Amino acid sequence: MQARNEADDADYAAPGTNPRQAATDPSKGDADTVGRKLRVLVVEDEPADAELMLCALRRAGSEASADVAQTAEEFTQLVRKNSYDVILADYKLPNWNGMESVEVLRREGLDVPVIVVSGALGEPTAVECIKQGAADYVLKDRLARLPESVRRALREKKLREEHKQAQEELARSNRDLEQFAYVASHDLQEPLRMVATYTQLLAERYKGKLDGDADKYIHYAVDGALRMQKLVQDLLAFSRVGRQGLTLSSTDCNTVLQAGLKNLEAAIQESGAVVQHDQLPVVMADSSQLVQVFQNLIGNAIKFRGSEPPVIHVNAAAKGKEWVFAVADNGIGIAPEHAEDVFVIFRRLHTHAEYPGSGIGLSICKKIIEQHRGRIWVESELGRGSTFKFTLPIKAIPGGKDRENDENYT
Amino acid sequence: MKTTPEILMVDDNPADIDLTREILAQSNGHYHVSAVKDGAEAISFLRQQGKYAEAPVPDLVVLDLNLPRKSGREVLAEVKSDPKLAKTPVVVFTTSQASTDVVRSYALGANCYLRKPGNLPDFVALVQSMASFWLGFASLPQKEQR
Repeated sequence: MQARNEADDADYAAPGTNPRQAATDPSKGDADTVGRKLRVLVVEDEPADAELMLCALRRAGSEASADVAQTAEEFTQLVRKNSYDVILADYKLPNWNGMESVEVLRREGLDVPVIVVSGALGEPTAVECIKQGAADYVLKDRLARLPESVRRALREKKLREEHKQAQEELARSNRDLEQFAYVASHDLQEPLRMVATYTQLLAERYKGKLDGDADKYIHYAVDGALRMQKLVQDLLAFSRVGRQGLTLSSTDCNTVLQAGLKNLEAAIQESGAVVQHDQLPVVMADSSQLVQVFQNLIGNAIKFRGSEPPVIHVNAAAKGKEWVFAVADNGIGIAPEHAEDVFVIFRRLHTHAEYPGSGIGLSICKKIIEQHRGRIWVESELGRGSTFKFTLPIKAIPGGKDRENDENYT
Repeated sequence: MKTTPEILMVDDNPADIDLTREILAQSNGHYHVSAVKDGAEAISFLRQQGKYAEAPVPDLVVLDLNLPRKSGREVLAEVKSDPKLAKTPVVVFTTSQASTDVVRSYALGANCYLRKPGNLPDFVALVQSMASFWLGFASLPQKEQR
């Protein structure tokens, strides 16, 4: 841990105070500017003040070259033409306010730290500058602070860039992984289909004509091929959720629930399940994906039922900026230590003989809900039923109020 | 006198051709199945060109989409835009489950889109009903009317 802390410290330390850098070349500034001059754009109408700022930087060992902009137009042209390491902006200028430079940079899509350098600014204004995106503010009668402020701004920018790069890298590797899952599952289907159909043909044609072992072995091969087919299809369904993207529209969850229940008609009838629901909201969502979520959750509630016929209740409550949906059942429940496992792809808590399935349903629900910027979790105890909850952002569209509450489906 | 229905199967997978032939041979109807393994050959066969000069005129074309040389989509487009071939029913028979393939196939004039089932019982049922529907129940134009 010691080495790790040192490294962390070194990352944040100002160059002058970092023993390692000081040993090599104390005059060199931040890693960003090693071997070249600091490019500064000064937004200032007083040439003398601009010179003072540069002096302060040079005195601290930073070689700096500077351009000066006096108007917003000049500023815009300069930042378009040149790339600067840092911008030192006076707050009060005759025709504009130095803080507007932050706005210009944002419009131009440039990430250059702006340090407000000003006469007496007053705490509220200074805080407002930082809020609006200035990296720091330095008073003109405290210019000795400027070099440190510049170093910190550069360091922060570098961290921002590294962070952005890491995020992009993560997003890219995620995309690669999804692509891999899709291609693998897609391309596996064709050869698997051959294995499945032809082992089945062997079984059909040669059953009882070879010895008993042969029949058994062929059966194993058929069984394996069919199970693998199911896995591959599920994996494909899973990777499709991410690939197809979201088609968001104003979606009435009452209608969505009906659609899910329609798909579960056989299971509901066979199990004698009773599904009740309160008035559900209208949300911005991909309706076909949401159908899948309700269908999977209610399907599970029916599948993992206890000795009693399933009673399932669906409701939604507004909480802060989101709707919290709940699908509660009276089934076998889940031990708390497995509450997170159940959302992992292909994770199953039971054998195939007890409950069939490949363990894909909840991982698809999770993926769908997270794509909608929501969360999903389960609250349960073994033997006491489960309540699956998920959130969706609230969109202020009033729900279809004409429906009756607590409709029953038996 | 009723002639034996002619099926042209266009598929680069010999296992699927064999399986289809096998199922049709075991079924009640009598069918004659010819098979070619790419799209270019399919067009030559249908136009009775080159080595296919003596090829029979099919009553039904069973067409895979992903084929070497000329894809099933190109074959479909060519067949359906050729007045001499357009009246022959073409059943797309493929592993693709992409909805875009379904839509595009019908847009190009496919008479039916069937996905190859992943297991034997379904495959058998599908091939048998395809043959009995298109070559039994369905009324097709007489060969000389095409």
